[in-house]
Amino acid sequence: MFDVHEMEVNFGPQHPSTHGVLRVLLKVDGERIIDAKPVIGYLHRGTEKLFEHMAYPQCIPHTDRMDYVASATNNLGFVETVEKMMGVTKMIPRRAQLMRVMLSELQRISSHLLWLATHAIDIGAMTPFFYCFREREQVLDLFEAYCGARLTLNCMRIGGMPEDLPYGWLDDVEEFCAKFDAAVDEYESLLTNNRIWKRRTVGIGVLSPEEAIDWGITGPPLRGSGVEWDLRRAQPYECYPELEFDIPVGKNGDTYDRYLVRMAEMRQSNRILKQCIPLIKQTPEGDLKAKISKVIRPPEGEVYHSIESPKGELGYYIVSDGKTQNAYRCHVRPPSFVNLQALPAMAQGHLVSDLVALIGTIDIVLGEVDR
Amino acid sequence: MNKALMTYLVWPVAKFLIAFIIVQVIVAAMNWIERRLLGLMQARLGPNRVGPKGLLQIIADPIKFILKEDIVPSSAEKVAYYLGPMLPLLPAFVVFCLIPYGPPPTFTVTRVNVGLLLILALTSTAVYGIILGGWASNNKYSLMGGLRSAAQMVSYEVPFGLSIVGVLMITGSLDLVTIVRYQEINAWNFLPQIVACFIFLVSMNAENNRTPFDLPEAESELVAGYHTEYSAMKFAFFMLGEYSMMIVNSSLIVTLFFGGWTLGMFGFGLTTEVLKGMGLLGGLIGATIFFVKVMLFLLMYVWFRATFPRFRFDQLMDLGWKFMIPLALANIFVTGIFILLGQERLMYWIGIVTIALAAFYLFKPKRAAAQKVVHAS
Amino acid sequence: MLVEYPKPRWSDKFLLLDLLEGLKTTLRELFKPKVTVRYPEERMEPADRFRGMFKFSYDRCIACKLCAVACPIDIIYIDVHDEMIEEGGKKKKIKVLDRYDIDVKRCMFCALCEEACPTKPKSIWLTTKTYELASYDRNDLYFNMQQLEYWDDRPKYTGLPDDGERPQIDETRLLKG
Repeated sequence: MFDVHEMEVNFGPQHPSTHGVLRVLLKVDGERIIDAKPVIGYLHRGTEKLFEHMAYPQCIPHTDRMDYVASATNNLGFVETVEKMMGVTKMIPRRAQLMRVMLSELQRISSHLLWLATHAIDIGAMTPFFYCFREREQVLDLFEAYCGARLTLNCMRIGGMPEDLPYGWLDDVEEFCAKFDAAVDEYESLLTNNRIWKRRTVGIGVLSPEEAIDWGITGPPLRGSGVEWDLRRAQPYECYPELEFDIPVGKNGDTYDRYLVRMAEMRQSNRILKQCIPLIKQTPEGDLKAKISKVIRPPEGEVYHSIESPKGELGYYIVSDGKTQNAYRCHVRPPSFVNLQALPAMAQGHLVSDLVALIGTIDIVLGEVDR
Repeated sequence: MNKALMTYLVWPVAKFLIAFIIVQVIVAAMNWIERRLLGLMQARLGPNRVGPKGLLQIIADPIKFILKEDIVPSSAEKVAYYLGPMLPLLPAFVVFCLIPYGPPPTFTVTRVNVGLLLILALTSTAVYGIILGGWASNNKYSLMGGLRSAAQMVSYEVPFGLSIVGVLMITGSLDLVTIVRYQEINAWNFLPQIVACFIFLVSMNAENNRTPFDLPEAESELVAGYHTEYSAMKFAFFMLGEYSMMIVNSSLIVTLFFGGWTLGMFGFGLTTEVLKGMGLLGGLIGATIFFVKVMLFLLMYVWFRATFPRFRFDQLMDLGWKFMIPLALANIFVTGIFILLGQERLMYWIGIVTIALAAFYLFKPKRAAAQKVVHAS
Repeated sequence: MLVEYPKPRWSDKFLLLDLLEGLKTTLRELFKPKVTVRYPEERMEPADRFRGMFKFSYDRCIACKLCAVACPIDIIYIDVHDEMIEEGGKKKKIKVLDRYDIDVKRCMFCALCEEACPTKPKSIWLTTKTYELASYDRNDLYFNMQQLEYWDDRPKYTGLPDDGERPQIDETRLLKG
């Protein structure tokens, strides 16, 4: 009796608010979305194939470029996986471990700041973008002082860290941490209680915990739905067991909860940084690499290891044949790729304007999705 | 005969031209003010390369618009396509004549008994340009954007008009000059009618397609706006029309709620008598006061744009029909009750109490609201 | 840890305090000093460890080819040939560098070559604080040995850590803003 006027609309690869080159094929009925199918592959660069031709230390700059927003955690995942394969995880000196944790947490702050900037500007609030980038500049300055690059860090090595902290770096980090809480308060004053923001995000894209676990979603989207699963607590690595931090968990699984979870995560990362600074001052300087051979040739076998990147569970699966210096196969489990699968389920029944908010809330980086 | 010609033809035309030029200067300045102020609020500098502090941007932008290539889609409906951008400008120019800029009779171009009604009728005709522009582009998405914008403007005309009814009831006249004179004898109208002032403010923003209601113009939405297919000068006309309507609306709110060209309340301060007593200088002072107030409201437009996110379209329409209109009707009802009881002055306390409470809560030292999130469960 | 919805009180909803909070924040931000650096009149100086353009030193290089092996993209092209020289009456075989070219347009400035170089001080280093490498011609970005040592058409910085040596004390830049 009623004919459904379904229209197929292309939310093209070039669009101001698909973060990267993501194409979404929408089936809309008027303005209601019936189906949203993401089409990916526009940024595929063959990273996994490249890994098969490069020695392990040479792969590290390439891992930077997958999730280009949070490259320290990419490095960390790869380096930890190779160390696990070589069996040297326990031999990493404490100073190196603390430095790795500090860089990861700084990277988490930087990644969440970028997420907030782009999410807010997609929904229409222009100013948090600039405020977040101002704070992000300070984090990038810290990275530059340590390893020489701002975005693609290449800051970890198999067995430890390449070089020691510059003089005065810890004081700069302390200064940053002291001012960061006030900055997060500023962003919250613009957005958290704002009734317009709430109308745009409450009830949008609800994921129940069962659905989230079924899709394999990890990271802040999973925690926003109420499942308390964080790899830093569930499968601890580095020196996270001795650091004190909370895991923010949401209630309803909508966009507003995911927003609150990420804001709280920024505060918790700040807390971790503040704890690490005195700990690292107690370790002796210069003790940065475990005693492993210069030529990395892991024994034959395969290993999967995952860490908590700002976007979710970042996993590396490396198969080595014991004879060559390169991996036989290196597969990356990117969190954005798996989280993107939930987009059709979340977008059902919402309007086209909400699709933009949804893409922002899953926090995808196309470099990771396509590799 | 000569005197009649002077009074009824020459003087009004001259005054209109002066007012028109002043308003166009403000429109040009508004372009620079918006970009510079928006930038400064967003922790960056606005235009700062073209001239000192970017002031030559005002000249550079029109030159760019004039010299750009004028692209006309081949399948566009020619007459409507060319007519579309002109139409939003016409009501703006006409309404300039009706608003008093200073003490009458010198500083008002015309003085119409039913001025307010005429202004409401004329500003409603701005919708035509949008619809024509969206439809004539022969672009499915432009059409949808244009229709959405038109629906938004039409549906916010109703609270726009209803909020003014409260002012009418207190003042008793549709003549803008009388309304301003009333405000200097009693308090400015935003005190007794603070709810109506708020509704008028929101409707003003919605009428002009400004944030937080700028969905039809937003780039990050799928549907393009009504001005997608326009380039160069025609696009500039749309923008000109938008800024002119902003100035018209700001002038309206200043006249109706904030005392027009006077700086006095309850008969004290710079009232019309005082200004008339100073002769032409007084008139000029009055006009300056008026334009300063209009500038403050234009700055407020930019301030809103910097701060608020955008409403979704259905939420926007919900807000207009389900919240603003009942609120405006309730305001009329309450005002009527107060007038019936003869206690109009009692309404001032509504405004004073609301503003005092808001200021108190706003500037109270924070109760650590943001840290609530950190407490462990 | 459950993130709580901050519960709005009646006064917040009625008096529009949440919207006024946001307005207050933007107004306060209007009067703070801005952190913009007006490039190109003002430039930010990169940190001491910043990985910029290469500098090569022919005298220090021992032609061991470790940098070419370490490069992930294989953009260092090295040709060596052996030569016999007399030194103190004994014949020694040394390697002489023929060609040392770097294809800078494909470089990702990861500094793995600098890390692999065994000489002290290093023969190839990236801490030159030069990042403005754009050029109009693609072939300009293929640097041969002489150009790597003596390039001068890009902005150079003075007061650098001397000749590629890592200084003993690294001062970080003060955080601005």
